[in-house]
Amino acid sequence: MITLTIDEKTIEVKEGSTVLEAAEAADIYIPTLCHHPQLTPYGGCRMCMVEIEGARTLQPSCTLPAVDGMVVRTNTEKVLNARKFVLTLIFSERNHFCMYCQVSDGDCELQNRAYDEGMTHWDLQPNWQPYEVDASHPYMVLDNNRCILCRRCVRACSELVGNYTLGFEERGADSLLVADYDVPLGESSCISCGTCVQICPTGAIIDRQSAYQGKETDVDHHVSVCTECSVGCIRDVLTRDNRLVRIEGEWEAPLNNGLLCDQGRFLPLEETRARLLTPMVRKNGSLKAATWDEALQAVAIGLGKGQDLVALASTRLPIEDLSLFKSLFKDKLGADLVTTLEEGAPTAAAAKMADQLGEPFESSLEELKDNDVVLALEIDLVDHHQVPGFFIKRQLLDGTQLFVADSKSNHLAEKATLTLDLKAGEEAQFLESLTAAVEKGSESAALNKLAESLKSARKACIVYGPTFIENADEMALSSLIELSEKLHCALIGVKGNANSMAAAQLELEAPFKPNGHQSAFVLLGDEAPSQKLVKALENIPFVVAQASYGSQVTGNADVILPVTTWAEQSGTYLSLDGRLQNAVKALDAPEGVLSSQDALQRIAESLSLKPDLDWKANLLKRVPTAPIRDIDN
Amino acid sequence: MSESKPKVATDWLCGCAGCHMSILDIDERILQVVELVELRSTPITDLKEPDIEGVDVGILEGSINNTYNEEVAKRMRERCKILVALGDCAVFGGVPAMRNFIGADAALKRAYIDAESNDSEGKIPSSPELAKMTHVRAVHEVVPVDLHIPGCPPDADVIFYALTELAAGRIPEIKDEKLDWH
Repeated sequence: MITLTIDEKTIEVKEGSTVLEAAEAADIYIPTLCHHPQLTPYGGCRMCMVEIEGARTLQPSCTLPAVDGMVVRTNTEKVLNARKFVLTLIFSERNHFCMYCQVSDGDCELQNRAYDEGMTHWDLQPNWQPYEVDASHPYMVLDNNRCILCRRCVRACSELVGNYTLGFEERGADSLLVADYDVPLGESSCISCGTCVQICPTGAIIDRQSAYQGKETDVDHHVSVCTECSVGCIRDVLTRDNRLVRIEGEWEAPLNNGLLCDQGRFLPLEETRARLLTPMVRKNGSLKAATWDEALQAVAIGLGKGQDLVALASTRLPIEDLSLFKSLFKDKLGADLVTTLEEGAPTAAAAKMADQLGEPFESSLEELKDNDVVLALEIDLVDHHQVPGFFIKRQLLDGTQLFVADSKSNHLAEKATLTLDLKAGEEAQFLESLTAAVEKGSESAALNKLAESLKSARKACIVYGPTFIENADEMALSSLIELSEKLHCALIGVKGNANSMAAAQLELEAPFKPNGHQSAFVLLGDEAPSQKLVKALENIPFVVAQASYGSQVTGNADVILPVTTWAEQSGTYLSLDGRLQNAVKALDAPEGVLSSQDALQRIAESLSLKPDLDWKANLLKRVPTAPIRDIDN
Repeated sequence: MSESKPKVATDWLCGCAGCHMSILDIDERILQVVELVELRSTPITDLKEPDIEGVDVGILEGSINNTYNEEVAKRMRERCKILVALGDCAVFGGVPAMRNFIGADAALKRAYIDAESNDSEGKIPSSPELAKMTHVRAVHEVVPVDLHIPGCPPDADVIFYALTELAAGRIPEIKDEKLDWH
């Protein structure tokens, strides 16, 4: 431990702490601009200058290591004057006229710092050099006129996301934020994760969807798990007057630390499908608006006693809904087939393996953050489940070796140290050969290289995806587990939708093979149906669709029950590595639209059935592939 | 009328008159202001220029965008003890200063020739009587300013506070909730 004095206060901090960290620990406020808790200290803006006893000049506290016996002063006249001068220089560099800026009046860190220092005017006027605004990107506008050259965006793009799209060209006052080798952002290697928008302290990178829609003080926040895939990132859903304004990553979230991908941040605001607002019942061949009572009556008659009934649910729904769905249709109604729209494909084989082992064998996603070797086995983390992909990509410059083995084309291959060929269905042979290579070497140079790297790694991780689980037989999985034990490396199994693993826990994993079914209940929620589903339902005489949006499935259905979207419902989600997290309702549903859970309850009532409501007990009945634990978001 | 009341003059330069509207927006409190100070030349009264003998407080709205504005600002500075820059245009240059990014010639062409509402004869006015356009500047770039009250426009409450402080012979402190550039 180190003892130092800041503003006459004695503070003890860990060795390696910066003066800024020491001040923060002691609740002493030092203003910053280029600094961000998720980024490596940079010392670019000089806002955080402090006076150090014995030092010739003022020092930036964000990069200055705290030293035993150091005496620091944060609010001397010299410091205050320096802060104002730093702000004056920043304001004079570009167009920082607040009155015509999107983030003015509360959302701009530069303006807020000036207010804090009581600046009523600028001693130096701007140099009036205009820069071109880049509005080529669908989700953001890049405006160098508003840039303060803090490089937070550049550092976030590389340090956090590992994408290296943003950078600077030229030097000093001519420095310009550019994408790749100065191409329009919309045509660059940008993957639209939006971390740069979220981290920009000024209006230099602005979000098109939410620009001028409401300031920080006008919006409501709903910290909630993302329901777009099985990673379970925590995000903040910003709303105003029951309208979605913007989605941001939650900086405080333990796993994603503020990161999101385009699926989680931007796409939910691009919804264009027609909303279903009233129940409908098919009469004389055409769908007619009906009351909930009429629709429920039609459901009760059409579903009959459950024989020849198939019931399918989306794995985007909360566990509460899935558990109720299973209890109602399988346990109470005794339907012939009760499963999910994913039919267990991304989970069934792994879940079965956990049953056999009697214990979980998969690790936490945290294990993916710090490795010297990663093997991606039939998983393209650029295509989907992108945030764990960021964890891998951002390590690569530190020398982490990435091996990709896939039966399909894989975008991670571009970044890989080595790509190994794998034939679909021959996963077991591949893993046996790899095990043999680890034990006694192999004739294949590639396998040898992978085996040697895995063996000599300080820490290694094997991540596999839905394709592997779909293709792999028992043999492949047990070889994989044995190999991971031998190498002491973590195994991470990427699933599919947000509640794929919960569906596996509830044993909702049977394949959907049409079997002369006479009726179908399809709980789509806000999921878009696949063509395969549309086709499979074509030959079923009576179809009930419980859905948020119109689709081919609802168009062909006999009864439509309108239900809430992800934003309008609360519930619990089980991430691919067993974290139980909450989705929080952010919007009120339109009148007449029920949550999927309430709609299922109404169906149960109309059938005089009493389904089991203890979803947690049902969830924990089966041995999970990864240990299940509650995470408080 | 007491001789001891401080004299206040105001004028507008390149602005939108919004800051003067905000002065009027202090509503009935203007009666208190008149109790405390003697309002001399302002766009609200009928006096055109600050008294040659001088005033105590001069208030300028708007930025300086031509030779005439320069003249008005310099005259106000000469004739007042405390010069106040009122509003974002006077303090920073404001909206008129956007012209500096493209230059006066391009702005004139856009307004008098290219604007959709012009007829085909579009012509830039030129007369020896017209003031010459210049680079747009904040007031403090032309004459020394003693007090800056930013805002677009500054809030009526801030203006009332500033006027009463000035009337009492104090320099108002524009900070915290009173500091808002918009």
